[in-house]
Amino acid sequence: MTDPVDDPDARGDEGRTPPFPEGEVPPVPADEVAPVPADQVPALAEDVPAATEKLTERPHPLTPLIRGWIVILALAFGLGRELLNSVTEDRPLPPIAFLVGGFGVVVLIAVVIGFLSWLTTRFVIDADELRLESGILLRRSQRVAFDKVASIDVLQPLAARIFGLAELEIDIGSASRTKLRYLSRARAYSLRDYLLSRAHGHQAEIGEVATSLIELSDLQQDDEVLLRLSPQRIVLGAVTSNEFIVLVATILVTIGVVAAAFAWLPPEFTGGDRRTGFLGVSVAVIAIAVSGLSGVVGFVTRRITGQFNFTLSRRPSGLRISRGLTSLTSQSVPPRRIQAVQLTQSVLWRRPGWYRVEIDVLGQHLRNEDDTRASTSSVLLPIAHLEEVRMVLAQLWPDADFTTVGLRPAPFRARWLHPITAPFLGFGHDEQLVVSRHGWLERRWQLVPHARVQSVRISQGPVSRRLGLANLAFHTAGSRLHARARGLDATHVRQWQAELIELAQAHRPDITVPVIRPGQSGEPSGTVPVGSAGTHADGPDAFRADQADDTISSTE
Amino acid sequence: MDDLFRPETDWNGLPDVAVTAHRISSLVANVVLWAIIGGAVWLFTNPLALPTGIVAVVGVAWTLWRVVRAGRWIRSFRYSEREHDLLISHGLWFKNLTAIPYGRMLSVEVTTGPISRLWGLAEVQLITASHESNGTIPALTAADAAILRDRLIAVGEAQALPL
Repeated sequence: MTDPVDDPDARGDEGRTPPFPEGEVPPVPADEVAPVPADQVPALAEDVPAATEKLTERPHPLTPLIRGWIVILALAFGLGRELLNSVTEDRPLPPIAFLVGGFGVVVLIAVVIGFLSWLTTRFVIDADELRLESGILLRRSQRVAFDKVASIDVLQPLAARIFGLAELEIDIGSASRTKLRYLSRARAYSLRDYLLSRAHGHQAEIGEVATSLIELSDLQQDDEVLLRLSPQRIVLGAVTSNEFIVLVATILVTIGVVAAAFAWLPPEFTGGDRRTGFLGVSVAVIAIAVSGLSGVVGFVTRRITGQFNFTLSRRPSGLRISRGLTSLTSQSVPPRRIQAVQLTQSVLWRRPGWYRVEIDVLGQHLRNEDDTRASTSSVLLPIAHLEEVRMVLAQLWPDADFTTVGLRPAPFRARWLHPITAPFLGFGHDEQLVVSRHGWLERRWQLVPHARVQSVRISQGPVSRRLGLANLAFHTAGSRLHARARGLDATHVRQWQAELIELAQAHRPDITVPVIRPGQSGEPSGTVPVGSAGTHADGPDAFRADQADDTISSTE
Repeated sequence: MDDLFRPETDWNGLPDVAVTAHRISSLVANVVLWAIIGGAVWLFTNPLALPTGIVAVVGVAWTLWRVVRAGRWIRSFRYSEREHDLLISHGLWFKNLTAIPYGRMLSVEVTTGPISRLWGLAEVQLITASHESNGTIPALTAADAAILRDRLIAVGEAQALPL
């Protein structure tokens, strides 16, 4: 970490932003690092000499209303509950004028603050800089280097969505994300596209993006839809998933335990005679059932709203997921950063042959599941048939096919150590992938391409040593799926480790969808890898440049 | 089955002083840990002597055990620089054999703590993109550590692969 003032590069280079340390937001606009005397630094950035001709923009004028909306809602809810209490408890109502007046004052304050904050928020996005000014009392000016932009999300909460607005979140790798809210949806999309292309190091113009007012999916013309899930399938998937089964089973068991406790324990413990005991049982069972039911309904509703109209499409820059009922979430899947893939299959999915696909992406701390707010999720496919899974994985890794990898089952003696899962354990690899199979009620397949394996470890505990077993772990740069194979025959494990290391060495990280430039769109990219594995056609420099493109992702 | 974790290659162990250093640091860590636990127990069960006594006995026994094991653990540690990868093998009950291809190496770190510095020891850590790799060689003489670092960097550059 170097102090930008002491950095000779930063000094000589007036127009450009010096790279500031990651994780830190520079307290002053970075152009002030250039020799501008300190006393000339003005309080408001519009007065910066260089910025006077700059076109500064404000967020959309409806912003204060939408941010005030939440305050109004919360207030109305609280007030309503209070009124209801007063009515039911026969308390005198406070005078209506007082209520309305108080409500009005709070709303007014919220709107005024929202308005002031809107008035003081400005941003500049042009060929030279990306700068944000905000704050009423504490002025904050933030300038972001284009090439530090790691990812950009366009979020559309319900209130904003009604008015056709969107929030732009810029991730520069620091702890807090830079938020720009709210912009018109078209503006948000065009700025996102512009910033992304600048982040890739291209010079670009801020283009116009035409969008309709209400959109259920975010598709552009050159997008090719690979898979779209029907609502029935999502509902069906939700009620047959293992999470659902576990939830229901927990509720039933709890009810059973409570009922049994009341039935068998002597009345002294449950208080009073048999009759009140019976009453107590009913009340307790009903209470548990109601809260359990609300939990179940909540789970299914979350699944449906989160994954409604789940669409996986192919874009020139990779795959893209868009989903959501109340808030549209779309997320791009950068193929080069995918470290591992896990297929899972719940008990009830075995017969219909459904799978759920999760991914582990380098540097993204993916929130699991279907949270509607989460802009990034680890779920690549919530529910899909084997053929669909193969088709989608072929988009990520064109040369690899996990179904043809032969899996060796664990030796019979593994049942001593893994009594339940041993019959299903399996491990195998081919030229492209390492596959390991686990699980009992929920079956899991972990797929790791050799190109992503960082190191391989054999481990063995005291019991497996007795049984002549060992485990293998394949370390990747991901942080979610820890791929490993258990219960392997110890006599072969070192040979496998050697093979895996050799394959890892031989593979360049190129089994992914190549980036198609706009000019050549339409070409089926999935079948044409940049250079097939093991060939060293491109020079290393060409390769690194190509990769730099893909270390930047955008989610929406 | 011991040879599973000792394939035929040139194995390097750690220097003998590492045993002493590791024992001392294990002793210090355990004494501090058990002092805190004992202090807390004494605070909460003040008039009674028994709980504090039990903690003291367990603490002393555990510390002694760890100190004895520390020496065996260090002696069990082996590493080998092969043509294309670094092998690290360690562990007594739970044995490990990690292979890290040089091509996956991002950087090599040499660090040294206050205790190991007394014996002129340093830790060499091979860093890959995966935080699970844990390519750590816990104690080498400072000169050896620097040589190993430079050698690893050199091979790493020669066999470099992009992430």
